Amino acid sequence: MSETTKTAEAVQEQSFIAKAKEFVFTIPVNKVSIKDLRDFEKTPRNNFIAVLTLAFIAMFVVGVAIYLSQGHHAYNVTREHPWGLLIAVYIFFVVSSTGLCIVGSLGDVFGFKDYELIAKRAIFGSIVTILAGFAVIAFEIGHPVTMLIYNVLSPGLTSAIWWMGTLYGIYLTFMIIEFVFLLKNDMKMAKIFGLSGLLVGLAAHSNLGSVFGFLNARPISNGVFYPTYFILTAFITGIFIAFIIMGIRYKNVFPEAVKTMLTGLAKIQALLLSILIFFVTWKMLTDIYGGMPNRADVALHILGSWTFWAEVILAMLIPLIVILKDYGKSHVLLVWVSLAGMVGIFFMRYNLVHDTQLKPLQMMKIREYQLVPEWIHYFPSATEIMISLGGVGLCIAMYYVGSKVFNLDADH
Amino acid sequence: MSRYGMALDYKNCINCKACEVACKEENGVLLGADKHRIWVGANDVDGEWPLLDIVSATFMPSQCQQCEDAPCQSVCPTNATYYDENDVVRVDPDKCILCSYCMNACPYDARYVDDRTMTVDKCNFCSDTRLSRGDTTTACQNTCPTKVRTFGDLDDPESEISELLRTREHFSLKAHLGTKPKLYYLT
Ligand code: SF4
Ligand code: SF4
Ligand code: SF4
Repeated sequence: MSETTKTAEAVQEQSFIAKAKEFVFTIPVNKVSIKDLRDFEKTPRNNFIAVLTLAFIAMFVVGVAIYLSQGHHAYNVTREHPWGLLIAVYIFFVVSSTGLCIVGSLGDVFGFKDYELIAKRAIFGSIVTILAGFAVIAFEIGHPVTMLIYNVLSPGLTSAIWWMGTLYGIYLTFMIIEFVFLLKNDMKMAKIFGLSGLLVGLAAHSNLGSVFGFLNARPISNGVFYPTYFILTAFITGIFIAFIIMGIRYKNVFPEAVKTMLTGLAKIQALLLSILIFFVTWKMLTDIYGGMPNRADVALHILGSWTFWAEVILAMLIPLIVILKDYGKSHVLLVWVSLAGMVGIFFMRYNLVHDTQLKPLQMMKIREYQLVPEWIHYFPSATEIMISLGGVGLCIAMYYVGSKVFNLDADH
Repeated sequence: MSRYGMALDYKNCINCKACEVACKEENGVLLGADKHRIWVGANDVDGEWPLLDIVSATFMPSQCQQCEDAPCQSVCPTNATYYDENDVVRVDPDKCILCSYCMNACPYDARYVDDRTMTVDKCNFCSDTRLSRGDTTTACQNTCPTKVRTFGDLDDPESEISELLRTREHFSLKAHLGTKPKLYYLT
């Protein structure tokens, strides 16, 4: 190779680095100090949220400390119920992330003008929620570092968990790149990465459904239902959160453009909720019909549990009724209903994880071993609850800092 | 290179639990009711006292079924669960991330967490203990007073287990799930 080509290459390389540097340094951010972070309107409600968030983060720290010293013994998971609250909370967060990604894509990927003004907030929210999810799952997986190594060195390509984890990693990367282009107002690139992120996110999310759907040892979860239902409920969750973050942003006094958008979202929500109710009804009926063992009995047991009804009433019936009442025009009420809806969505995730493991595997271990003859019981331990609430705290804190550092409103 | 399997003449089981003790001793399985690779399932006695139907009390000794198409292996994200050269389903503790997916996916409740390594463990036909020392029997088989278990190479037509499976009726547990267990219950 001649000297000149070498230097030309070096120059090229240098200019590439310079370009990359310039790209990063020109991401529009606001300079904020700790003082700015303390600077929020001191209304009782804001103060309450601030204290709550800090308390949740403190709980996270304590919970993690207990976990690090005691390992899984700090959790109430057992041989028969190996997945507990943290798995449910992880699912809760990644569903939220996928949902926000779908809502954010309405504007900048699919070009629905009305929804453009939430794009940045939704995409930023999707990044924050998935990070919170990763923070929680890191303390549920026994060996997260080993996971990072052997996920690459000896990938289990038949494993739904492998696909879910790997695709979510790629998804997070795409979401961050999309967000940067949104900040730079480069709509063309944002659209490309938005679409890629959306597709990978949907694939990751339905794979998460298949983690349960593939379990042929568990007739109550086995089948096509969960992989598809996960996408539907993600969209619903995304709209609930969209209402909540818009309510916070505008302190429930919405400008006209936002009102138009929220009414539109509410109408989509009504349709999605109707489909969901239809799905769940038929899932229950097919589970029970014919009395197939390990499926019908479990379904009947689920129907008798209050957590199932919490999910149905909070996340399905109330929102649907409130939206249908005046076609989604009571925006402020809908913000509160969405908050309750998220509680319902939490129960939805919890139920999914718990119900899968409800039925003992019937190896006739009825006396000498731990297995109870009827149903497997589980209630989260204090450590599990602390880490879960900590995830919520992290999520609020990251979102708050982000709303200070970045301009999350649409530029006009 | 063999294809190991086990035949259980389960009607001979007298629920003495010697196999459970032998397994814990041989393989260093920790104490505690949920730390077990092997167990004896018990059918309740039919009838009300004093009219008990004594012969209805049957015992079903069991352990990992060494599935040929093992759900625990398919779901493992890091291939920590693998088939070794003798077709035994084993767990590599260096690769296991304790995601517990296999514990949920195994239809036979055969897996548990080993608290020393904090990884998932299960029966591996004594592969890293007796078999690696050149023994040809497993601890549970060796100790059994009524000789319930016969362990051996399914590919060797001369082996005792092949002979048993040729001459006696047998079934496997939850066969409808398509896991193709290599534990055979002789009737
Ligand atoms: S019985 Fe369970 S642990 Fe054993 S090979 Fe089959 S699926 Fe795996
Ligand atoms: S717990 Fe270990 S052996 Fe089981 S699926 Fe996860 S990584 Fe594989
Ligand atoms: S074969 Fe070995 S490891 Fe398996 S149950 Fe018997 S003694 Fe335990």
